[in-house]
Formats: sequence, C-alpha cells, structure tokens
Amino acid sequence: MWAELRELRDDRDVGTPPRDGEPVTLTVDDQTVTVPAGSSVMLAAALAGRSIPKLCATDTLEPFGSCRVCLVEIDGRKGYPASCTTLVEPGMAVRTDTGKLQSLRRGVLELYLSDFPAGDIPDGWSEFHATLEQCGVSSHPYGDGASHLDSPVDLSNPYFLFDPAKCIVCSRCVRACEEIQGTFALTVDGRGFESRIVAGQDQPFFESECVSCGACVQACPSQALIEKSLFEGEYRHAESC
Amino acid sequence: MTAAVAKGAMGDNVLDIDRLLVMANQIGDFFEPYPPARRAEGIRNHLRTYWDPRMREALLEHIDQGGEGLRDFVIDGACLLRETDAGRKGYYGPPQA
Amino acid sequence: MPNPVKPDRSVITTCAYCGVGCGFKAETHQGRIVRMIPWKEGKANHGHSCVKGRFAFDYYQHPDRVRSPMIRNSIDEPWREVTWDEAFRHTASEFRRIQSQYGQKSIGAVSSSRCTNEEIFLVQKLARAVFGNNNIDNCARICHSPTQFGMSATVGWGAASQHFDSILQADVIMVVGANPTEGHPVFGSLMKRRIREGARLIVIDPRRTETVDSPHCRASVHLPLRPGTNVAVLDSIAHVVVRERLYNEAFVRERCEWEEFEGWMALVGDDRYAPERIGPEAGIDPDAIRQAARLYAGGPNSAIYYGLGVTEHSQGSTGVMCLGNLALACGMLGREGVGVNPLRGQGNVQGGSCLGSWPHVFSGYRFVTDPEVRGSFEQEWGVGLDGEPGLRLPNMFDAALTGHFRGMFIMGEDPVQSDPNQQHVIAAFRNMECVVLQDLFLNETSRYAHVFLPGSSSLEKEGTFTSAERRVNRVRKVVEPLAGYQDWEIVVKLMNAMGYPAHYDHAGQILDEIARLSPAYRGMSFELLERIGSAQWPCDEEAPEGTEVLHRQRFPRANGRGTFMLTEFVPTRERTNDCYPLLLTTGRILSQYNVGTQTRRTANSMWHPEDRLEIHAEDAHARGLADGDWVNVTSRFGSTRLRVKLSKRVNPGVVYTTFHHAQSKANTLTSDLSDWATNCPEYKVTAVDVTRVTAEPDRRTAEPARKLDEVLA
Repeated sequence: MWAELRELRDDRDVGTPPRDGEPVTLTVDDQTVTVPAGSSVMLAAALAGRSIPKLCATDTLEPFGSCRVCLVEIDGRKGYPASCTTLVEPGMAVRTDTGKLQSLRRGVLELYLSDFPAGDIPDGWSEFHATLEQCGVSSHPYGDGASHLDSPVDLSNPYFLFDPAKCIVCSRCVRACEEIQGTFALTVDGRGFESRIVAGQDQPFFESECVSCGACVQACPSQALIEKSLFEGEYRHAESC
Repeated sequence: MTAAVAKGAMGDNVLDIDRLLVMANQIGDFFEPYPPARRAEGIRNHLRTYWDPRMREALLEHIDQGGEGLRDFVIDGACLLRETDAGRKGYYGPPQA
Repeated sequence: MPNPVKPDRSVITTCAYCGVGCGFKAETHQGRIVRMIPWKEGKANHGHSCVKGRFAFDYYQHPDRVRSPMIRNSIDEPWREVTWDEAFRHTASEFRRIQSQYGQKSIGAVSSSRCTNEEIFLVQKLARAVFGNNNIDNCARICHSPTQFGMSATVGWGAASQHFDSILQADVIMVVGANPTEGHPVFGSLMKRRIREGARLIVIDPRRTETVDSPHCRASVHLPLRPGTNVAVLDSIAHVVVRERLYNEAFVRERCEWEEFEGWMALVGDDRYAPERIGPEAGIDPDAIRQAARLYAGGPNSAIYYGLGVTEHSQGSTGVMCLGNLALACGMLGREGVGVNPLRGQGNVQGGSCLGSWPHVFSGYRFVTDPEVRGSFEQEWGVGLDGEPGLRLPNMFDAALTGHFRGMFIMGEDPVQSDPNQQHVIAAFRNMECVVLQDLFLNETSRYAHVFLPGSSSLEKEGTFTSAERRVNRVRKVVEPLAGYQDWEIVVKLMNAMGYPAHYDHAGQILDEIARLSPAYRGMSFELLERIGSAQWPCDEEAPEGTEVLHRQRFPRANGRGTFMLTEFVPTRERTNDCYPLLLTTGRILSQYNVGTQTRRTANSMWHPEDRLEIHAEDAHARGLADGDWVNVTSRFGSTRLRVKLSKRVNPGVVYTTFHHAQSKANTLTSDLSDWATNCPEYKVTAVDVTRVTAEPDRRTAEPARKLDEVLA
C-alpha cells in the first residue's frame, strides 16, 4: 500500500492508485512508457502524456469501471475495455483516441448530460465539466424525459450538501467512505436508472453514521456533494432548460 | 486564602509540605525495587533534575526536623543531595544505573 | 446560478487541531477563506481529513474574537480596551514590580500546542532570558509529559519511533489507552485500512471504544481493564512474554543492556504478575492477557500506539516504561511496521516538548543544570541563565497558594477548564497579581486575568508545527491577523517592553535560531520546508531531509543501548469506597477538540452539544436512572451535573465523560493526584458517586464571561 499513498501528487490525477511492482513496458498511442506491474492502462496513459477522459476513476480510490468514459482500444483484443480496470501487460499497444472511442464517449456523456441541470453547464468548474470539455460535449440530443432533477437536496449536514440532481452515480463517494475513511456510511441503492446514493438506512447525512470527514465531498467529480461555504446565500436548485 | 499566606512571607515553603511529602514518597515508590545504592542515587538524581531548589530545601529542612512521614530510603536519597563532591560529575538525566 | 464560487487563491498549510498534522490547502475567494481541502501530498494524511480540520475553521472570524488588548487592575473590575503599547508597558511594569517584591522566581510562563514552534521557543526564551528563571511549562505537562520521561528512560527519546505510514507494515497493532478513530481520525482511518488487509488488533482500554468495534474493524483481543491498573496489566503481559520465553533474545543481547533485562525479567516473571492473579484484580479474563502477550510477541511486526489512557495516571511514566520494556524485549523497534508511538493529541504539543518548554530542559531535551548546554544558550542570547530547574505548572499553582508565585503569562491555554482540581486552580489564580493571557477568545481562565492580548489563529500566522510523528510542517498565513499582530510578534514586543532587545524580520529567522541551538533540528529551515514540504526530526548532517524511523542502528542513550526499567505496580491512592463507589474516566470525541474553545464556536456543536455521562445499565438501574436524566456527579474534590447516557461501552463500576464543554465542569471532579515523575494529572481515575437530581441546573452563569459586550467597561 506504500506507493498508493506516497506516490500521490497534487498536480495530477493518474486515475488509479500507483502501485509497487516489477517494471512493465507498453506503448500508448505509439509512446513507450514503463510502469510498475499492477498499474492500470489509464495510469500508464497518464504518465505517457496521453490522458484518458474519466469520471468514476481517481487515483486515491480503487477503480470501479462504472462510468464507461475511459474506454480504450487494445491491439489484439476485441471490444472497448475500460482503461481503469485493465492492468498493463508487457508489450501491450493501446489506443486512447480513435474516432470510434470518441463517438462512444460522446454517447455516454450525452446520456449523463440528459439527467443533469442544463443551467449549470456554462461556468461550471467541476471535473465533470472538464471532462465534457475534453471530449467536446456541451449538449445532448434528448428531449425532456424521465430525470432526477427534482430530487430534494440534503442540507442536513452543517458543512456540505448533497444535490442528487447533479449526481452521476459514479460511486466515488461510496468508495471514499469505505476505502479512505473506513466508516462505510454510503451505498448505492437500486439499479439502473433507479440507482441513487444513500447515506445510512436511506437517511439524511447528518442522521446516518457519516462522521463528516469530507472524503466524499473531495471525491465527487460533479459537485453533487459540495461545501456549503462555496455558496453565497442559500443554495438554489437549478432548473433544467 | 488567609491574609498571612496572601502576603507570602518569604520564610515559608514554596509548596505545602504535605504535598512535597506525597510527591517524595511517590518517587520513592518507583525506586523501591532497585538495590539500595541505586535506589538512593535514583531519588537524588530525580530531585536534583526536576525539583525547584526551594522545594528541595524545604524537603531537607523537614528531614532535619525528623523527616516524619517519609520512607527511610527516601530520606537516604534526599540526603545525597547535600553531597557536593566536586570529583563526582553529577548526572542530570532520567533515572539510570 | 447555483454554481459554487471558484476560489482564486490557495495556500498550503497545516491543520492546527490534533497531532496528526494534516496538510491542507486553504482556498480563498477575494481574500476570504471559503474552504479547506486536504492536500494530497500531505505526508500524514495523503489527501484525507476529518470534520475538524476540513470544516471547522470558521471560529477564526467568530464575533467573540477579541480584537483589541484589554487590561484591568483587579478581576472584579470590567475590562478596559487599551492600545498595544499600553498593554505591553503595563505588563512589563507589573511583572518587574512583582519580581522586585517577591523574588525573581515569582513569575512564570506557559505555552501551548496552539503556538507554533517559533512561538514556543520565544515563550521559553521570555522566561529564561527575560524573566531570568526556568518557570516555563507547556500543555504537554497535563497530557504526554510521562511519554517524555518514560521513553527517554528506556529508549532515549520521548517521541514516536515511527512515521504514521509505518502502520501499513504492521502485522499486530496494539492500542493502549487511546481511541484513534475519535482522537486522531485520519490516522485511525489508516489503521482501519491496515486491519482490513489482515493486521490483528489488540486494544487495552476500559471502554469498548469505537476503535474496538466498528464496521469491518474489530479487535482480536480487548482488555477492558479497571481504570488504575495499567501497570499491573502491562507487567502481566510481560510476565507471559518472559515465562513463555516469547522475548527476542538476540535483539536484547545485541541492542540492549542485558543485566537490566535480567533484573526486569526477575520482577515481571514473579508469580505476583501472573495473569491468574492480575486478571481478577483488573477485571479481565486471564486468558485474554495471555492471548494479547502471545499475539504481540509473535509479530512478526507489532506496533504499539498509546495515548492519554497510559499517561494521565499516578503511574503514567511507569506505564510508558512498561511499553518501552515490552517493545525492547520483543525486538519491536528499529524498523518499519513496529515501534512505540505516543499519539500526541494536539497540533504542536510535540513541538512544545522538543523546544524546551519545560522547567528542567532547554530545547533538545538538554538539562538546564548542565553547564555546557547552558553556556551555549547564554552565548547565543547574551544573558546569564538560571541553572536550577523551575516550577512545573501544577507546582506554580501550589506556589501561588503559598504566596510565592504571583504572575503568569499564558499563551493559548485555559487551565481553569483543562487542569484538574478546578477549585484549587481557581484559588491559585485568585492569589496572583498579574495574569496575562494571549488568546483568541475570553475563556474560563480570563475571569481571573488582568491583561488580555488578542492573539492570532493558525490561519493568521507563519511558522511550523511538529506533529505526533515528529514531522515539522509549515504553517502559513492565509489571512492577516485580525487583531493586528501574529502571535510570535506579540511575544517579541513583550520581550522588548521588558528590556530584552529581540528582533526577527520574519518567523524563519526564529527557526534558524532553533536550529542553531537544538541538535535534532539542526538542518531545519523554512528553505528546506519550502523545498521538500516537511521533515521529521532528527534532521541534521546525517539525515538532511529528516528521519522516518528511529533507532535503526542505535538508541540515543549514552551507550547506544536500550534499557529496562523496573516497573513495580503501585496502586493509585485514589480508591473507591462507600461514598464514591464508581470510577470516572474521561476521553475525547471526534467533532469537538479538547476544551472546545474553537470547535464550540463552529457548527461542530451540532454533533456534540453537551458532554454526557456514560454509565452501564446495571449501575443506572441501581440508582433509578433512565437515559437522559440529570445527575449529580460528586468526588472528593467537587461536584457537577451531567446528563446520563446508558451505554454498553463501559463496564459496571466505571463511568465515562468528555470534557469539551465548559459548563460540564468535568475538572471540578478530578483529583490532585498525579504522575510521580512529571506531575501529569491523574485524570483517568477519579472515584465518584452518581445520584439523580430532579431539576435541570441553571446554565446561564457560564456564558457571560465570553460575551465581549457584557464585560467591557
């Protein structure tokens, strides 16, 4: 676990925890890179200067593979594996930005956008916004369908709020509460479209086992979990246009 | 507090003598398992290193007046404080051999 | 638009709360602090944080904050706001007057863990070079002073032997008298990570704490011993190690004093320390003692983490020695994954220890009685220095009652709330003629003060903190000091007002002076810390970027070897009897910090709005108590009222409370008993009785002292 903590850097997020291990050499978009065995393809790509867009991956948490944004193509393999959950192998040749990958990513992000408050897209500065920009997505082709935009905001904790309208159910918060803090206060309840993040026994955060460490807030890429102190005045739920 | 104490006549003890006796005996309790020579030396070193000189003087004065309430080896250790043999390099640290 | 405000500036600094010393980025927007986010490269926290450092920073701009110096001639008068110059002049003349009237040793100073290393160093310089005596003490007196004593005796240095990350290599973790998930949360989380990977946990604590039992983290062995029986139980564990030959003979022969080891073996190996004898006395299963011993000795890497449950006892130093003895006997020192680690609770209490904020040593734990060391300080400071040990904080109060101690300078401490035997402390303060406080808010002690100097929070000053893992971290100024001066600047001005020409252009020069005068800090400087972020002492030519693990080759004692101290169990004088049949012990909770001066002024009080008395159902039913009832808790020393909480965490015969709220007055109950070596108060063992009362007490008297408008003239 040494490298997982001590190799972390403030100015970069390599996507999955750094590992200790024997060196493995591979190529990413024809760039040669050498990383310890046990590293993910995403990490190798980041170190090779070929950052792969991501949402549910971050280098302080074990990879989960739920968002389907970080897909890559690997020579000699079928399909489009998630680079966060795929481990490097010697001699692997990875492509991170083909036309097919771009269109797959656009499709996934447009789906996320269709259930996100549109009014918050301009001027946004979260990781979600950065990923949208990285992939050139700013709108979606879907009309007004079922969404979670009306979900009530949980303001019970004095320091941070949870706005499910902005939640993309990437489960980074759940993993942070388990792996980093060790309190296990959060889970994903339900499946598919119905899946949502709940605290405790589906309680407000303040009444659950949450100890307010802020690890989930730190992990959240879409600012669904966000410090109350960053808002001047009362938090207003945005309407989607 | 009574007026006499509030004025702080410099003659009386800096600390209440009962408190000093409790503290000295507690130190003695720790050193009890050691052989007599080391025990006395340990007590002497501790008092020398950690007690304000006025507290040490008050204790020695009490010993001169009979040392009531003090265990005998505590008295032995405290009396070593009076040995100012120049040839002997005083040890200032935590209890040691 | 509900998009959050985007911070425009970020300053890396260190949390001031507990001894973990988490690195944070303080983010501001147009000059106002909008959030604190954990710093990923913080070597203690690696991007994690807890509710206090992360969110509870708003106290720095609370309306109660004092922004102007105040003085008054007697504590019965209201406070008068004055200029800084007048405050310094008044303080200087009062202190000098007292000294000319009652002697040079009639004044003293106390610093605290709220002070940076630089400030602690300056306050001890104030006492030594300016007051001319060694009456300087710090808050560690009442918590970890036995650590310094006991660990110096056995291994040579009174500080954690490992860095926090070392726990990731431990196979067995023994937690004694500490509750890391509450008191050191970020470290507690690291410990839980390691336990989820398979490490085994032994907990020695009277309560079934959150550390013993939490999701995916359960202790393999829990010894819920009766408060006051630490040394007996630890010696009993040692007994098993000796009699079952579980010790590491090769390590002892190579690295320790063999003769002392034999003496120790004879003591703990004696039948009187057998688990079958000690178990019943301490209220625990003898088999559990044997299990704990075998698990610890078996390792291969066993690490000890301990806290105030070991030190705050009349045998506190002895208890620490027991831990040192055990670790040496089993060879659990000098590499990763092992060690003896005091969990120092406060942000800079380790700094206070290192930098000579003690009546008997200068910085670097070197004795004031040693002429060579004293000479080096006299040369640097340009004045002659007192060669005799001074008064410890509890003895300062004793001496105040006999009229020999009349003036005190206190920075960042609230002794009336945090020190034991409150009536005694209040009487002592009433007997003093000039009590000077440098702090952020009016507190319980300020009721008895004559000068109040408004200080700066850690967000408003430059300096360094030394954390529990010996790590020196940078504290950086994020906003300007609200009252006009950084804490260290105030101390310098006071020194000047008293006639000592100290001058520093910036705090880094103070660290340079510390480096010149303290061997373990020799390589420290602001420049080094800018470059590498932080460094653990010792930091010198041999280890220019600091030292992670101590004692790899030798122990810092005269002959380089560790030694064994004879740790006979001496029961405390505090005994239960018919009048006081229960034992009270105390502890901390996650959301509040110590006496709550800071955290009670934040939303953290939502989690812990009051201190409760935890009591076992059996004891509650015997007294006709239901959960939530008000009770009178009385001891030989005083009484107070608390609300009861029925709990399965305490055993029958033991009650427990926290000390975060002033109105709980937990310290009216605590005794005058203290550790034999250091006078660290025996907070953890107080005989009490608990009886039901019918009416809720009038709490209003506690508030006015802190509301500025009601106290100003």
